[in-house]
Amino acid sequence: MLELTLQSLFSGVLSGAYYALIALGLALVFGTMRVINLAHGELVLLGAYISYTAEEKLGLDPLASLPLALAVVVGTAILVYYLVSLIKKDRELNSLILTFGIGVILTNAVLMIWSADIHSATTPWYHDATILFDTLFAMQAELVFAGFGIALVGAVWWWLEKSWYGRALRAVASNRDAAKLMGVNPQLTEILSFAVSGVLATVAGIAIYTAKVIQPAMGHHLTVKAFIITVLAGMGSVPGVLLGAVLLGIVESLTVTMASSALQELAGMVLFLVVLLLMPSGLFGRAKRRG
Amino acid sequence: MSKNKLCVSALALSLMLGFGPARAAEFKIGAEIPLSGNLARVGTAMNEGIQVAAEMFNKKNGKHTVKILTVDDESSPAKAVGAVEKLAADGVVAYTGGYGSNIIGPASEAAEKLGKVYITSGGVATELTKRNLKTFFRINSSEGYARALMGMFNEVGIKSVAVVYSTKEATEEVAKMLQTGLGPKGVKVTMHAFDPATNDFKPIIHKIKLQDRPDAIAMIGYENDYVGILRAAKVLKPDIKTIAGVWSLATSKMAAEFPDLMENVSGTSTLSFPAEFTTPEAKEFAETYQKMFNKAPDYLGIFGYVQSKLLFEAVARAADAGTMDKGGIATEMRKTQSDTVIGKVRFDESGDNPEFTHRMGQHQAGKVVLVWPAEAATGKVKYPAVPW
Repeated sequence: MLELTLQSLFSGVLSGAYYALIALGLALVFGTMRVINLAHGELVLLGAYISYTAEEKLGLDPLASLPLALAVVVGTAILVYYLVSLIKKDRELNSLILTFGIGVILTNAVLMIWSADIHSATTPWYHDATILFDTLFAMQAELVFAGFGIALVGAVWWWLEKSWYGRALRAVASNRDAAKLMGVNPQLTEILSFAVSGVLATVAGIAIYTAKVIQPAMGHHLTVKAFIITVLAGMGSVPGVLLGAVLLGIVESLTVTMASSALQELAGMVLFLVVLLLMPSGLFGRAKRRG
Repeated sequence: MSKNKLCVSALALSLMLGFGPARAAEFKIGAEIPLSGNLARVGTAMNEGIQVAAEMFNKKNGKHTVKILTVDDESSPAKAVGAVEKLAADGVVAYTGGYGSNIIGPASEAAEKLGKVYITSGGVATELTKRNLKTFFRINSSEGYARALMGMFNEVGIKSVAVVYSTKEATEEVAKMLQTGLGPKGVKVTMHAFDPATNDFKPIIHKIKLQDRPDAIAMIGYENDYVGILRAAKVLKPDIKTIAGVWSLATSKMAAEFPDLMENVSGTSTLSFPAEFTTPEAKEFAETYQKMFNKAPDYLGIFGYVQSKLLFEAVARAADAGTMDKGGIATEMRKTQSDTVIGKVRFDESGDNPEFTHRMGQHQAGKVVLVWPAEAATGKVKYPAVPW
């Protein structure tokens, strides 16, 4: 039982790091613009499909397809920003409807361009097993992208805390007019937040394509997962995203081991509801307000 | 010429030219099918078979023709009902298509209310044929899939099986049929349900490896589940003798897309790969499919073809008998006794095809070899053999 539990915890941490990659972009845009981008899952999916095309047509390793995928996904993210910025009234509510619509269009575009078949990376190295301490098993792709996930969360956090643009972004999120008076260009910082969100979505997409399976209908599911983590973390909290994602991954994984995999999604939702009930601002919401 | 003679002459002329109740006509057939949403791949594959059936029927029948009106149900039960109603308003006489038992259920009930025949191969849940519908028909069933899996397991002498199954209606049903079918024969069966959203199967496979220690793993799910389970198994390497599954597994597509995972994996299959089409009809089907879609047919296309062909023939017979408006299509469907490219088909009172039993295919060196039953086998089953 100990071996099972340890593997379960390990799998949960790996899943959590990959969940964090998916959720961080959504959290960042919400944190800076108060916009919940319901097309975020589709941006992740787009990154995955660009990686698939690069591997299939050009023979590129999924990681080597990163520049190409970045160009397409970041470009699309900026286009989403442009459309959102056209909303002049009730941006928080109307952006939900708009981004949901963009998500539907992107899903159908993926379906038309790439068909409904499932795909996954064919480079064998990513799927080979790595065994740690004789008892912990993982696919190499999982380790690579767990590392990417943790590093990117750290980098985004550092950027927001320490860099001028990061501070400008937080200033716009806190008080757009005051930030403007301090010489910050709000439009530029908002574009920046969508662009960084696009970068994170690209890496998340390549991670999914490499370690799991992609299909056109999965974008919506990814958005829901990202949304749950973002709320769990405390809307807009970067370290909270990593913690919330890992917590969700561990709860799901332990549920499979101790009870049944059929209850995995339910367990995630129960965790979500319990946290919301006990801590309405999410795990890091209160701390953020103090800060 | 007197008025009576004129009438008689006109009637004779019209009969000679084939007019009257049995005159040649183009019949609109509705295809309600998922072309987007999470069932888009399977829906698209079935739709290809439907198009091939229409092409072949129109070329061959010589008298009646069919025109397919397709509406995408977007993998949604509510939209499937809307599609059925829209197609009725557009004048269709019957429906072919549908995928997913939870979608086919309400869609076929809508067709029943409209008094129109609905035929499918995309829903295998037993519940579908327990509703006393008069216009619902299907050519395959859960029993046919479970029988094939159990048949192969029994033949190689498996003593214990871990069943890993999705909690969707049809997959859960096949899993439980395996449990009740294999259990009384002394085979130890352990059950592992998983949520359809699951994408990390390592915790389940680890449990199977350390606790169950079975001879075989049976995967009852869909393509993305199989890839996830096989990847997890390849990492954890449980000490099993074989791994097998059901639909969408022993296919040329899986052989081409996931060659590193599929070797020695078995699944239900109507076809070997490369396909060996032996009968004239099957050869014509394969040629037409290749011509229309520039690829080899897969088993979903074959099911779509067979269900549609049987429907078109029933429509033509009802038209010839002049019973189209009196429930004639359903009556003709019940008279079906056909040896098709998926085997014998006849329909019982519930609209089910009691003749349906699947075959088992095994991925061997990039090909799919039919290994069960013996009379359909194109090669021998490799056992014990796993993909790692």
